[in-house]
Amino acid sequence: MERFEYADNSIGDREILVAVPSIVIGVGVLSMPRDIASATIAVDGIITIVAGGLLAILLTWFTAKLASQFPQQNFIDYASLITTRPFGIVLTLLLAVQGFMLAAFETRVIADVAKQYLFDQTPYGAVGLSFLLVVVYAISGSRTGLFRLNMMFFPIILIISILVMLLTTGLFEGGNLLPVLKTGVSGHWDALKQSIFSYIGFSFLLFYTSLVKKPKNVPKKACIGMSVAVFLYALIYVMCVAVFGNLAAGNLLYPTIELAKNVQIPGGFFERFESLFFVIWIMAIFNTTAMAFDAGVFALNSIFKKDRKMQLIFLLAPLIYIIAMLPNDIAEVSAFGVFVSYYGTTMTAIITILLLMIARWRGVTKQ
Amino acid sequence: MRFGSFFKNRQKNDEQKQEHPAELKKSLDQNLAVLKQLMEEPNDLVIRAFSLGQTNYRCAIVYIDGLVDKQQINSNVLKNLQLFAEKTDLPNGADSVLHEMEKELISVGDVIKADNLDEAINDLLYGSTLVYLDGIDKVLMIGMKGWETRTIMEPVSESLIRGPREGFTENLRTNTMMIRRQIRDPDLRFKTYDIGRRSRKKLVVAYLEGVAHPDLIKEVNRRVESIDLDDAPESGFVEQWIEDSFLSPFPQLMNTERPDKVSAAILQGKIGIILDGTPFALIAPLTIGNSMQSPEDYYERWMIGSFLRGLRYLAAFIAMFLPALYIALLSFHQGMIPSQLAFSIAATREGVPFPAAVEAVIMALTMELLREAGARLPTTIGNTIGIVGGLVIGEAAVQAGIVSPIMVIVVAVTAIASFSIPSYSVAISFRLLRFGFMLAAALLGLYGIILVYIMINIHIVNLKSIGVPYSTPFSPSFFRDWKDLVLRAPITMRTRRPSYLKSDDNKSVNKGET
Repeated sequence: MERFEYADNSIGDREILVAVPSIVIGVGVLSMPRDIASATIAVDGIITIVAGGLLAILLTWFTAKLASQFPQQNFIDYASLITTRPFGIVLTLLLAVQGFMLAAFETRVIADVAKQYLFDQTPYGAVGLSFLLVVVYAISGSRTGLFRLNMMFFPIILIISILVMLLTTGLFEGGNLLPVLKTGVSGHWDALKQSIFSYIGFSFLLFYTSLVKKPKNVPKKACIGMSVAVFLYALIYVMCVAVFGNLAAGNLLYPTIELAKNVQIPGGFFERFESLFFVIWIMAIFNTTAMAFDAGVFALNSIFKKDRKMQLIFLLAPLIYIIAMLPNDIAEVSAFGVFVSYYGTTMTAIITILLLMIARWRGVTKQ
Repeated sequence: MRFGSFFKNRQKNDEQKQEHPAELKKSLDQNLAVLKQLMEEPNDLVIRAFSLGQTNYRCAIVYIDGLVDKQQINSNVLKNLQLFAEKTDLPNGADSVLHEMEKELISVGDVIKADNLDEAINDLLYGSTLVYLDGIDKVLMIGMKGWETRTIMEPVSESLIRGPREGFTENLRTNTMMIRRQIRDPDLRFKTYDIGRRSRKKLVVAYLEGVAHPDLIKEVNRRVESIDLDDAPESGFVEQWIEDSFLSPFPQLMNTERPDKVSAAILQGKIGIILDGTPFALIAPLTIGNSMQSPEDYYERWMIGSFLRGLRYLAAFIAMFLPALYIALLSFHQGMIPSQLAFSIAATREGVPFPAAVEAVIMALTMELLREAGARLPTTIGNTIGIVGGLVIGEAAVQAGIVSPIMVIVVAVTAIASFSIPSYSVAISFRLLRFGFMLAAALLGLYGIILVYIMINIHIVNLKSIGVPYSTPFSPSFFRDWKDLVLRAPITMRTRRPSYLKSDDNKSVNKGET
């Protein structure tokens, strides 16, 4: 009960629990089955998804642990405490860049997917712009509001994913899942990379944990949140492979949306379920983009002494839009995606583990 | 020139006002003269001077005709005072005579002694009767208000099939009486304020001490105290003065004509605001879950209540989205419509010269016009407008080939849905948002709709009602409160007050637990 005071503005660990899967589940899951299925045989990819998921959970735990050791302290404060102030600024900048790039990537993919599944005549620039404007509106509001948005949208996202899977159970072909355990090590290794990449986003815990009043439970809750994402990914992957077969799943551009395309609504009062699925999925993508953008702004803002949130937002939004619109075709977009994932994962892992080790070594604790 | 002189006059009046001696004199004549000068002898000011029975004490009663119960004044005050001489043990000195009058002679419950002219005049204007006595600078104020009021009637804007039939009236006392009669608890507090520089209307902030959160009480009182208007003719003025954001399409305080609704809210730990002169009381705070609740949900058994509430959520969805979905599907995503239906829609739309968006806007605006016309006209003519508008115009528009029959169905269903939302002010903001959705759908189809939906959600999570997040109990989520959200759990299971209100006394039902 002490979590929410009358008109209180801080967030609790329950919000973190929802925020983690909300950040992680975005556009990645739409194409994830393709990347993993193309590297593995039959349903073997599930092993790598779970393995990658476990790794991601471990990393989540590390990030949350690091951040929760310094309650109500910004990342820059404890990073400077552990290392030095200039070093702290550099690390903050590196992590902020990740947020902006992720936001740009999500914006671009949403524009592309909308073009493919919703309308073919509207230019993707307009689609991306309108999306980004809504994101800017969201992060101009309160940060607590963002977490509340996560709480409002996440159940809807879960429901629509489960609905898609339930409605496609009729197409489930067990034979597609066989044979098991035929993938070689190199295949698993390729798939593992892909699977870890689809879990990026948890690094924002480094910043947001400072908003939690009593962050003792944050690592646990964040890990539970991450497991929700892992579980959902595994389920979606199994469904995709079982419905399409490994080969088809590996060649479809967005297998998850294609899965929704196969949904037959009983009663048939409307068709093309994938459009509806994607429209609702926009909420998930919105959550990811808004959190990524906001985390970047939060990080940059912590460098300045004065509050420059609004200036930063209006300065960075055009930049993000330009970056999002730079790739010329689908191939370049996915190359951009790979870069964002590489950058995000390695940065987060290195920075977190480095800071944890130095903190342990130098015995830095809360001020 | 005239304007100039008007302002000059006005200034002079102000100066005079400041000059006037705001204190009571000892002499009765002086007192009465001051009063006359102050109000410039309006013809509804009644001054009756007489001597106390056979004695030499002169006194006067002053009241404003129309605001007091004359019969009572005559029988309980005037008569008693004029028969004063029959008393033998006459006290000496004006002071003790006045005391005697207050304690013994005036057979009225509500008598206050005042020594301040301002206070006395305020009370006089509010319907008190002043009793002056010569030789003392004090005055008795007798509260014997009585004026023409509307009788208690069934609330017009919120009718129920099952539930109390009485609604608030324009009389503050009647309204507080109705709440008192529902909550017989000594902890029920009525905090009174004078609102309006000129109108000086009474406003009552009603809450249950020990149930409502102290911060909430403090905040509402602080905001009410800050009201500085010439007049608040309706509680809408108060609402707009104390609401959190004037840029929001959503009402941040609930208004209602139903005493049962207000007392139920007070029992939950909310705060009622009642203004004199209007049958609409306010309830604070309002959150998004409340906007879909009707008292009848609780009066009917829980299954029926839950069903009705679910129906209302569906209605809210239809009221907001249906025309927008029609536009989006017809202009962008024809593939989503099953082919059979698509053919029949295409067949009916044959010959309609406008795109779906224009068609929808024309019909939706017509519908709004009809509704507005129906609301402004007397009831009997209002019904005619409904028939003429709904049937004749709808039929004729289709015949003339301006709109398609499907469009008429869409608009009609939307209108019906928006009427089934229990709160008028919530329904009207939903209707407003509908046009936003329609515009978005015309520009970007389903994608536009979902973007606007996200924007509304962003707005809602940032909005507060008296400091309570508007999105409660969805988020910040209070899962226990979900028992009374879409599903209306059985009375025996709703044992606690809403947890977001953080009431000190949490339990509302005692089931024998400790």
